This record gives sequence, C-alpha cells and structure tokens, in this order.
Amino acid sequence: MKKLLFLFSIILSTVVFAQDTGSFYGGFESNTQWLLDDEGILFDAPSDQLRSNNYFQLNYNLGKFTAGIQYEAYLPSALLGYSPVYDNQNGIAHYFLNYKDEKLDVTGGYFYEQFGSGLILRTWEDRQLGVNNALRGIRVRFNATENLDLTGIYGQQRNGFEVSEGTVQGVDANYNLSNALNLETVDLKVGASYVGRYQDVNGNDTIPDVVSAFGGRLDFVIGNVYGGIEANAKSKDVIANEGQISTNKLYDGTSMQVNVGYAQKGFGVNGTFRRLENWSFYSDRLAEGNVFNQQILNYVPALTKQQDYLLTNIYVYNSQPRLIIDSFDQRAGEVGTQFDLFYSFKKDSWAGKYKTKIAANFSYWAGLDAEYNVENAFYDAKFVGNGSRLFRDFSVEVKNKWSKSLNTVFTFQDVIIDKGVSQGGPVGTQGEIHAYIAVLEATYKFGGNKSVRAVAQHLFDKDGEKNITAEDGSFIDASRIDGNWAGGVVEYNFNSNYSLYVADSWNYGGQGEEHYYNIGGSYTKGRVRAAMNYGRQRGGLICVGGVCRFVPTNTGVSANLVVSF
Amino acid sequence: MKKIVLLFSFLATINAVAQEDLPSVDLTTIDGSSINITEATKKDNVVIVSLWATWCVPCLKELDAISDVYEDWQDETNVELIAVSVDDSRTVKRVKPLINGKGWDYEILLDENNDFKRALGASTVPLTLLIKDNKIVYRHSGYTPGSENELYEKVKEYSN
Repeated sequence: MKKLLFLFSIILSTVVFAQDTGSFYGGFESNTQWLLDDEGILFDAPSDQLRSNNYFQLNYNLGKFTAGIQYEAYLPSALLGYSPVYDNQNGIAHYFLNYKDEKLDVTGGYFYEQFGSGLILRTWEDRQLGVNNALRGIRVRFNATENLDLTGIYGQQRNGFEVSEGTVQGVDANYNLSNALNLETVDLKVGASYVGRYQDVNGNDTIPDVVSAFGGRLDFVIGNVYGGIEANAKSKDVIANEGQISTNKLYDGTSMQVNVGYAQKGFGVNGTFRRLENWSFYSDRLAEGNVFNQQILNYVPALTKQQDYLLTNIYVYNSQPRLIIDSFDQRAGEVGTQFDLFYSFKKDSWAGKYKTKIAANFSYWAGLDAEYNVENAFYDAKFVGNGSRLFRDFSVEVKNKWSKSLNTVFTFQDVIIDKGVSQGGPVGTQGEIHAYIAVLEATYKFGGNKSVRAVAQHLFDKDGEKNITAEDGSFIDASRIDGNWAGGVVEYNFNSNYSLYVADSWNYGGQGEEHYYNIGGSYTKGRVRAAMNYGRQRGGLICVGGVCRFVPTNTGVSANLVVSF
Repeated sequence: MKKIVLLFSFLATINAVAQEDLPSVDLTTIDGSSINITEATKKDNVVIVSLWATWCVPCLKELDAISDVYEDWQDETNVELIAVSVDDSRTVKRVKPLINGKGWDYEILLDENNDFKRALGASTVPLTLLIKDNKIVYRHSGYTPGSENELYEKVKEYSN
C-alpha cells in the first residue's frame, strides 16, 4: 500500500508541476459468473456461487517515464478452474516504473519479458488462463550499438499475490549479423540467452541451489525463404511431481526448435520441428507440472493449429515437456512437427469470381522414444526415434466469397489424440481417440450492417461406440463422455455494436446425450465491451495460445465488462 | 462496496483526463527489426492500426473484407493500414505465410509478448484504431460484417 501511495504522489506531483501533463491510459476488466445447479449434467453449484475476476490497470506516461499499477480482485472467489492462490484475494498485484530513451530502457517493479521464442524464458499475462508470471525486480535493456542489443533481468516471479521462493536472473543478447557484415541479399540475426534460478536448498546438499539454462538462436531471411533454429540446454535439477521431489537423481534437459518457410504473394508455407527433453522450468523446483501453470518460467505451447469452432476444440493437444519416471507413468518429453500452407486463388479463377482462400495444417507429436529403468530412476532417450503417438491432426479450411453479401468457410479436420493427453493419467498407454470433424459456416450480410452467421458442425468419433459399450452392449466406461457430437451456432448482428447468439453442442453419441447449450449477447462501442452469457460449459481443457487449463463442467450465467481508456 | 464506488469514481476521473495519445511501444517488423509504433504511424494522413492474430477468425474476416476494398480506400483517401499481429511464439511463424497466402497489402508488425496490446488495455482482438498525429481518434473492438464501412466513414471524416 505504501508503494502505491508513493507511486501516486509521484504521479500527482508531476501532473501538478509539470508543464506537459503527460497522459493516463489503462483499462478495467471484469469477468463474473454465477453458478447454478444443473441436474442434466450432474453439476452441483459450489456454495460460493458468485465468482468474479477483476482487473484495473492504470498507467501514466510523461516524456521518457511511464509508471503503472494493476489492481486485481478475485471476490468472493476466483472463477472456476483458476488457481486457489487467487481465491478471495485482492490488492495491487503489479506495479512498475519505466524509463526509456533511444539507448536505454530500465524497468523497476513487475515486468514481462521474453527471450527468443520463450522456450528458455517468458513471463506474460493471460487472464483467460489465470496466468500472470511477471517478474518483480529490475530489467535493463541497452542498445549497445546499432547492431547489438542487450537485456539483463533480476527478480522473483509472481505467484498469486506473493512472489516465488526462487530468484531468477538472466541475460539476453541479439546481434544483427547481416548489418554488421554489410550483407545485402541475406538477412541474418543471432541471439544468445542465459537464465539462472537460485533457490535455497534448506540444508539438502544433494540438490542444486542454482539451475542454469543456456540457449542460442539464428534467424535468416533469403529472398522469399526464411527460417530459424533455436537450441537450449538446462543444467541438472531434480524432477518433482505434485509438490514432491520424485527421485533422488538429477537430470539435465534440452530443447530445440527449427523453422523453415517460404512466402510469396498468394502462397505461403511453413514447417516447424521441435524436440523437448525434460524441459520443465519453474521458479520453484516443487511447482513442476502444477495444473494451474503457476510459477512457470518458460513457454512451451502446443505447436498445433489453434482451432476456432466448438467441436474442433474438444480434442486439443497440450505439450508434454516433462520427465516422469515411475512405475505407472513414464515420459521424457516430446518430438514432432507441424506444417502450414496458405493459398489464394486469383480473382475470376475457376474457383470463383472472388478470391477463394485455402489454409491447410498438419501436425504430428510423439512422446520421446526412451528406455526407462524405473528402479534406478534412469532413462535414455533417442533424438527422434519412434515414440508413441500423442497427437496427429490434419485440417483444411476453404474460404469462399459468393457475392457481396454471402461468405462461407468450410473446415474439415481429422484428429487423433492420446487418451492420457486428452483426459489425464499416464500418456501413451491408454489408447487413442480418433475423430473426424466437419464444419460449415456461412455469413450473410443484409444492408445497414445487419448480418447473420450460422455454423453447422459434426464430430464423428471413429471408435466412440466401442469405447462406451462392451461387445455385448453393456456399459463399460462412465468416465468417457464422448462418441459423436453435433453442434450449431446462430449469431445475429444488429449492427456493429449489438449481437446475440445461441449455440449448442449435442453429445448425442455420449452416455448422457447431453446438450451443452449457450445463449448470449454482446455490446461493443469505442472503449467499452460488455457481454452476457447463460449456459453450460463442457468440462475439459481450455487452451489459449497452446497453454491449457482444466475447467470442470459447469452451468451458470456469466458477465464480462471491458473498458479501456 | 466502498471499494467499488471508489473504483468507479476513479474511473470517471481518469476518463476525464485520459488523453488519446498512442502509447510508445517498440514492435518488430516482419524481418525482425525493431520499430516504435509512433514512428510507424507517422504519416501524412490517418492510419488504421488493426490488432489481429492468425488464430482469430473475426480478425481475419475483417482484414479480408478490408483487403477487398483497400485499393479503393487508398485511391480515395490515401489511408494506410498497419496490421499488428499479437501472435505469440506459438503461432508467430504462421504470420508470414498467412499474409502472403492471403495476398494482403498491409504493413505488418509483430507484438510477440503483447506489450502494445497491454498498453492499449485491449483484452481481446480484433481492435481497430484510427491514428492521426499520434492521437487515437477512433477505436472499435470486435468485428461484424459491414463494420468496415463504418470504419471507412471515420477514415473519410478524419482525412485531410
């Protein structure tokens, strides 16, 4: 609180005395839900039915200085599925003071930072996921020469309204090689990073107090071809599960990502390969693998297409960077690849008067091919090998414009996912789910900004029947809510400000033949966006940017308000 | 309750003094160089800044819709559109093939760790801004078919 008052007195005094009064900017966001009992999906609302996450952010800029605070309130409880560290808490969760000129950029307080692709360090905020792992300390960025910039960080990571036990320090350097060497036809950039975590070992001298990670990267552009490679390694550390150290051994870790693409007007293609081995990195060694993504130091998103529709979001991949060696679950990481292709037909081609656009994606992810010796807590992994398949996705999307008022999008997806990844438990041993999904979306524009959008979708579970009933027809698996699904959305936009929608996902092939219906509306104008929604939330993974959190099935009314200024 | 009242009175005060200055944030060009958004928008006429992402369907619809009429807009008003991708490292590699595949003629900038998005207080994309002389003169979030026409009305209103 003292800090806050101090900050404000600075701001106020500058406002009063300075001639240039600077400017304020920021925003307010409130996400509230009222949970309701629902026998249809066997949901008993918890006693704290009202849940609300609120964020108020205010920044003040004057010349080269910027100061900001963020107040957060999770009252009376945080939204369902958020980390319990937020429940019934409120306060100033984030503040900073920044000085920035052309050479130097210094931040004290909380800051967000990313080194390279984030595999070695990324701190960020995602309110939908309940992730805010900003570091509290100091960051200095320095443009040393025209071609070299340096970043140094030191601090402790945010954990709810507290900070983590570990202390994090890091250095990142980026060098523009082609500028330095006066290369004209090739654009080359290199970078290197170091991140270290110190954490007290409380007298236990068999575990390291400092864990260091090093990484290097190179990015290039040669005409229409571009690409990059990044490789990182992490020194030996314990592995932990559910807050306990798992074995008495120490393990190092590595990660590697290679990307190559080609792009010209009307056509683009991109391929990515990534391998992760024991690549968990948390600011507290015991936080490894926590389901709320708290105290996570790096960013290991699932490299798959982020799907956009109700039924294409049921079977989503979650990346598997962890090393686990115990008798019922063994994993060492993941290896896989993803390809994207984008193509536009020319105007007035055989594919239509307007430009038809095609996007296709393929991804394949497997667990690392490794041999495990559970008794001695030892493993040996191959570089690629032939590990068990965890996810495979092929999708294609065709966008057509038929006239000035009618657009359609057709999507087809063929997805295979490991049951352990999708539903929890050991991976690679519980079998797979294989589904085909087709989606047709049409948007029709009336005059005066009115429009209607309709989406029809169907998910065909290839093995759904087998999974739910045994061969004699008896019911065998109560935990698996799947089989075939049908879904639909109708949205009506009165103008660019108001819209209403109804949606339903019907699990007609599942045991309870549940409907997950929703109805809602939104208003948006200028700085304000407000939305309300009533309905059922399908339980499962909610993924934003390839990071997922689990939400239980629930029913309720929700309201969202965002004001920015 | 007290807190809420306080918060709202605070909000009201802030709104009264809030200026429409474009926050000064460094972004990355598609070739990896750094550029400040206030530099990028330093143009003679109004500039449309659109925050989007490769995974955001309404964003793609909006930018596709504008793309169809962009030539006409530019002929009539000389307006330029800067499309700022908020894709993070999961999807940022998709930006370059996607904009080419779609044949967009926009200037593309990257906001990989969402510094710009945060500075604008934007919780969702798309967010469309009209910038003139470093000031935000119009903003709209979300996309519904036809709202590009409203945007163009504003472009004409603020054009020289």
